[in-house]
Amino acid sequence: MEIFILAFFALGYLVLAGADIGVGMLLPYLGRTSGERRETIAAIAPFFLGNEVWLVATAGVLVGLFPKLEGDLMAAHYSLVVVLLLSWVIRDMGLWLRGRVSGPRWWSLWDGAIVAGSWGLALSWGLLLSDVLLGMSGPLALLPALALAALFATHGLAFAALRLRGTLRERAAVLSGGASEVRTLALTAAAVAVVGVLAGLRLPLEAGTSGALLAPVILVMMPPLVASQAWVWWTFRHRVSGPSYL
Amino acid sequence: MLLGMETVELARLQFALTAGAHFLFVALTLGLATLVALLQTRATFGRDPVHQAMTRFWGQLYIINYAMGIVTGLVMEFQLGLSWSGLTKFAGNAFGSALALETMMAFFVEATFLGLWIFGWNKLNRWAHLTLIWVVTLTAYASAFWIMVANGFLQHPVGHRVQDGVLHLGDFGAMVANPAALVAFGHILSGALVVAGFFMAGVSAYHLRRRTAEQDFFRKSLRVGITVALPATLVTATFGGIAFQTLQPAKSAAWVGNAGRMAEAQAEMVALHGPGDYLPPVAWVQSGAMTMLILFALMFFFAGLSFLLMLFRPVVRGLRIWHWLLTAMIPVPFVAMLGGWIFREMGRQPWAVYGLLTTAEAMSPVSAGQMRFSVIAFTSVFAVLIVINYWLLARAARRGPAGVTLGDRPIEAAVPVATF
Repeated sequence: MEIFILAFFALGYLVLAGADIGVGMLLPYLGRTSGERRETIAAIAPFFLGNEVWLVATAGVLVGLFPKLEGDLMAAHYSLVVVLLLSWVIRDMGLWLRGRVSGPRWWSLWDGAIVAGSWGLALSWGLLLSDVLLGMSGPLALLPALALAALFATHGLAFAALRLRGTLRERAAVLSGGASEVRTLALTAAAVAVVGVLAGLRLPLEAGTSGALLAPVILVMMPPLVASQAWVWWTFRHRVSGPSYL
Repeated sequence: MLLGMETVELARLQFALTAGAHFLFVALTLGLATLVALLQTRATFGRDPVHQAMTRFWGQLYIINYAMGIVTGLVMEFQLGLSWSGLTKFAGNAFGSALALETMMAFFVEATFLGLWIFGWNKLNRWAHLTLIWVVTLTAYASAFWIMVANGFLQHPVGHRVQDGVLHLGDFGAMVANPAALVAFGHILSGALVVAGFFMAGVSAYHLRRRTAEQDFFRKSLRVGITVALPATLVTATFGGIAFQTLQPAKSAAWVGNAGRMAEAQAEMVALHGPGDYLPPVAWVQSGAMTMLILFALMFFFAGLSFLLMLFRPVVRGLRIWHWLLTAMIPVPFVAMLGGWIFREMGRQPWAVYGLLTTAEAMSPVSAGQMRFSVIAFTSVFAVLIVINYWLLARAARRGPAGVTLGDRPIEAAVPVATF
């Protein structure tokens, strides 16, 4: 039961946030002008906050249900997790702050933060998963890390193709061509999930002792949590038709 | 300076700076969310354009502040596993439940609905939109509650059992009903309302002093701010007073500076845990508590005086020295909050889990080099971001309701197409 809960939130994070990380990575490709970039950001703006909470929940599950694994995993990859967190912070700040001031230099600064943060996040995840999955670390681990970053980017393209319109939509469809946008997104999402599952299988998933109390509570919480997210997905199901609040 | 510090000192510094930064932002978030929810309730029922404008203006300041609260909170949560894996391994099976429930029952819903509230403006039904801000506010309270349950456990562990050298969950009800958690929760919640009340009053006073066009808007906001700040100050003090009765013996002895009682507390700990220094740093404990108490007195008298002054409309419009003082008071509750936090946490030292696990034992096996790297990296990134965010907050506050972009248009309105 504990493992199911952990997998649910961790995979939820990888699939959902993987898409908005990918869009952030390809921001300079998707949006060539500042206006285009703002519209590209509108594709992920209503979602990124709701997506990253899946990782916060995953951390909560780890500390509550797998306290030993949490400590081992994070302390063993100390500097990598620090870089991951810094990338996350810088990227989020880019998204929040970009629209706060009008001016090309301000926009470029935070566009840069979004792109650098997204790449930092994707590569840190790549390195972390390479170590867990393949036992690889050091410079050679950059190869699988780059492969995973490419997967996030592809997933981001698939998401962007579904959300954007016009030229931006065409750019996002560069890899998928005329294929169905929904099916492409399902495919990239499945690929991301598979990586997550494989990494999970390699982890020493030894649950702690508070599951008897905690696991049923979390299981009961899951449907309302998913429903709250579904409300977001439903509200913003249409294509972006212009810049958003951010 | 960093080179001379031990790894555990660096880890403590890192956590203290992250938690301190987080606290500055979440205190305002928690209080301001409440005020924005109240304003939006009036705006939704009354449909008064002034109330609607107030919701948007204070809502915008709330969001600017919120973003920084999230990113510092993320880093804090992950630091538990990163720097303090000794703590999570030893006590995660007990107090980790509170942290897990915080993410599930509070933050997950709070952040999801906040996104809907921001981006769904003018898109969702106005009653649904009002419900969202209330859910965001209540889940923010729930978040603070579960965090204080976790912190209360570290201060005064109850509801656990010891088996195989680590802690396990025993009586969950006892852990949740821990007075060290509940009293602190009440103290912090009301303290957050003090922060937000003074913030709202201070920003409004700035505009009244500057004779901004929206007189009515800021007169009303000033009234809301002071009306909340005065009773909240009293409630905060009441919970604080109760909390003084539940202090650990060593913290209490350090606070009053009673050498006899400190020696007694030390001897008691030595008898239980063997030789060692079991006393908290007295100077930190005393200066943290004194800062909090002196500033409480200042805030209480100033809020009381302001409450009387605000009853006279010409004074609200024209007493510029009072306007100036109100604005100058904005940082005071923040400093008091940090003082109280230093008192509570420094006074717990040298324990991570009081009487069960020392802070040194709670450390992860991390090298000094790694720790220095992360302290420098987090501190410099956060320092820059805090300056930028406070600058933006001040800028948005100064610009007034005219500069608000939150909810200023239908978010995904159809682009008008020329048909001629």
